[in-house]
Amino acid sequence: MTKVITKEDLLSWLRQLAEKYAIIAPVTSNGVTLYKSVGSSEIDKINLNFSKTELSPKNWFFPPSETLFTIVKDELPRIIPASVDREAILFGLRPCDAKGIALIDKAFLAEPADVFYQEKRDKTTLIGLACLSPCLECFCTSVGGGPADLTHLDILLTETAEGYITQATTEKGKQLLTGAPRQEKEIIPPVLPSLNLILAEGITELMPRVFNDAYWDRVADRCIHCNICAYVCPCCYCFDIRDYVSKGKIERVRSWESCQSPGFTRLAGGYDPRPTKGAHFRQRWYHKLLYFPPIFGDIKCTGCGRCVRSCPVNIDIREIITDVQRMKV
Amino acid sequence: MIEEIRNKAKELLETKTVDCVIGYEPATDNLTSRPVFIYEPSQVNRLIFDETCVHNLSKYLINRRYKPTGIVAKPCDTRGINLLLNEKQLRRENLFIIGVVCSGIRKVRFNQIENSMPTKCQYCSQHTPVIYDFLVGEPVTEAPTHNYSDITEIENMSPAQRKAFWSEHFDRCIRCYGCRQVCAGCYCYECFGDELDPLWVGIRIAPGENWVWNTVRAFHLSARCIACGECEHICPVNIPLMLVNRKLEKDTLHLFDFEPGIDTEIVPPFATYKKEDKLGTGE
Amino acid sequence: MAVSHEPRIVGFLCNWCSYAGADLAGTSRITYPANIRIIRVPCSGRVDPLFVVKSFQLGADGVLIAGCHPGDCHYTEGNYHTRRRFALLRPFLDYLGIDQERFRLEWVSASEGKKFSEVVADFTETLKRIGPREI
Repeated sequence: MTKVITKEDLLSWLRQLAEKYAIIAPVTSNGVTLYKSVGSSEIDKINLNFSKTELSPKNWFFPPSETLFTIVKDELPRIIPASVDREAILFGLRPCDAKGIALIDKAFLAEPADVFYQEKRDKTTLIGLACLSPCLECFCTSVGGGPADLTHLDILLTETAEGYITQATTEKGKQLLTGAPRQEKEIIPPVLPSLNLILAEGITELMPRVFNDAYWDRVADRCIHCNICAYVCPCCYCFDIRDYVSKGKIERVRSWESCQSPGFTRLAGGYDPRPTKGAHFRQRWYHKLLYFPPIFGDIKCTGCGRCVRSCPVNIDIREIITDVQRMKV
Repeated sequence: MIEEIRNKAKELLETKTVDCVIGYEPATDNLTSRPVFIYEPSQVNRLIFDETCVHNLSKYLINRRYKPTGIVAKPCDTRGINLLLNEKQLRRENLFIIGVVCSGIRKVRFNQIENSMPTKCQYCSQHTPVIYDFLVGEPVTEAPTHNYSDITEIENMSPAQRKAFWSEHFDRCIRCYGCRQVCAGCYCYECFGDELDPLWVGIRIAPGENWVWNTVRAFHLSARCIACGECEHICPVNIPLMLVNRKLEKDTLHLFDFEPGIDTEIVPPFATYKKEDKLGTGE
Repeated sequence: MAVSHEPRIVGFLCNWCSYAGADLAGTSRITYPANIRIIRVPCSGRVDPLFVVKSFQLGADGVLIAGCHPGDCHYTEGNYHTRRRFALLRPFLDYLGIDQERFRLEWVSASEGKKFSEVVADFTETLKRIGPREI
């Protein structure tokens, strides 16, 4: 017997939750699906049949821009830290996106933890939707995930003809589910799709050997050095910080930045330790496949395929991995 | 058609006329295409040309301005080359242009080919390359047509509607600067968007800064945008940037009777003036 | 609107004519609204469209560019370039949601203190009529 919630019940449950929580869910408009904040009256706008959102859900924890604190000049200067006032539910995550959040967690929550990130993370419950029709560019199973992987979620919903199968994995999830109108039903869970496998195993060991290979310059020929791949990626987390000064007020703002942008490593005086297009380009793959794993234990990729889909010139991480594996040293 | 391109590329590389040919090869989805740099004559069989070849390759020439380079170019891309030649960014003697007669390409995303043409092709009246050394296909003679119905539609909106329309689009900009990086006309050594002192566009990815970025980016391309539509095509959040660019194109045509990228020798309108200009202002 | 709104105008005045014109207005004791914030530029041709866009972003209700009359430019041709740029920029900003009445180009010579005060008074009046700009 499995516990199932019908689509109508699910929506009315969300509507009810929206009174207390901020609900962040996929909404399609202007031809793009993005995670947006939806109020209780807008629950019907949620797109339940999306394949993958254009931007990853990292935006919720690590927004494109956020004010870290404000300094106001009264009699004495005061620092006002930013804070999150409401608990939130991030609804409609794909398992790969949940893994992306888990990967960013490793960096942001490692000691010393990022308090802004932590606060948002603690106050958010993740509700996932299993992937039943994966996109052609996905390869989550190759990097240790899966279309119905519930490891990094609080609740996972799996769509069937009779409603959504509910599975709670954490205390947070179980508690939230107690309020959901569910029925006990005998249901055969749907067959999960199989995805193309690329063998990413052992890639970390191979990467150091090809560091000086001309390969990187050749692929970088094509790269236009926009920041799209980093900005759509669920686990890229570089940022830049700057103070905004206005009359009687200073704000410290943190915004996304990408290793592919022209000024990323340029130092005062104009020296750039990554002077060539190839060196610039290489950094992204070395961070993902070589520098990240030994510190945090996993390849920094969820296999969501967003960078593959959004790259204007088809720089494909799957191709890079196989190319590196084929390269003779 | 593909054979002609391959043979020419092979000849160019074998005779060392150029040391690289920039063209298209199949993408990893085996459906769409992507840019490729061919350095070896043995590699020319990678080259293809079909309806999915959307990219404007003329951008790549800027990095190779001192090296002899061959390039496969559609008519709109050749306008990009002309623009760069006109602005003295390239050396003609270093270029070998394999022009391709084009009857329009498809709307393409990775893994997806739509059955319709992108905006640029719907309004295009230039099906023969404007500059080339070798032409693939039969040249077509046609009178230029100008259709700006999409722009007029927005112009006819009320100011409030228009403001809402643009803020809806610009608000979701993530300032990946893809529009700049892909643009053949954007080659500043330091873009105003990257300048730190003075800070024109702050690092904050928020409506105000996004508005400045999108407005000034477009205006820097006024009378220069060659309407290749790459910025719109690659925008990860689907901002209709051609609606911005084409407004400037329309006004430039109306005020100065000028179209960029058609002629390499003409002086662009913002590099010159006429005392007797009648522009409806400040006379 | 019940509460009267004091618009903020950013004025880019050319050093050789319009700034001197504004100066003359002052020394001749001609009053003009204090709504304008003057920025002196070497020539009206120095006004990068970016300055205008930035002014609007930072909350200006109106932007005025003032320079020498055509033919009088200290650098011979600066104001002709300004005229071309302005002719394209104004409808463009209007298209992107900034009412074209908020953006003006005026020719004010060094002897036209009176004209300067009239321009500012008229511009302020117009901006008061269209009300504050929502950002």
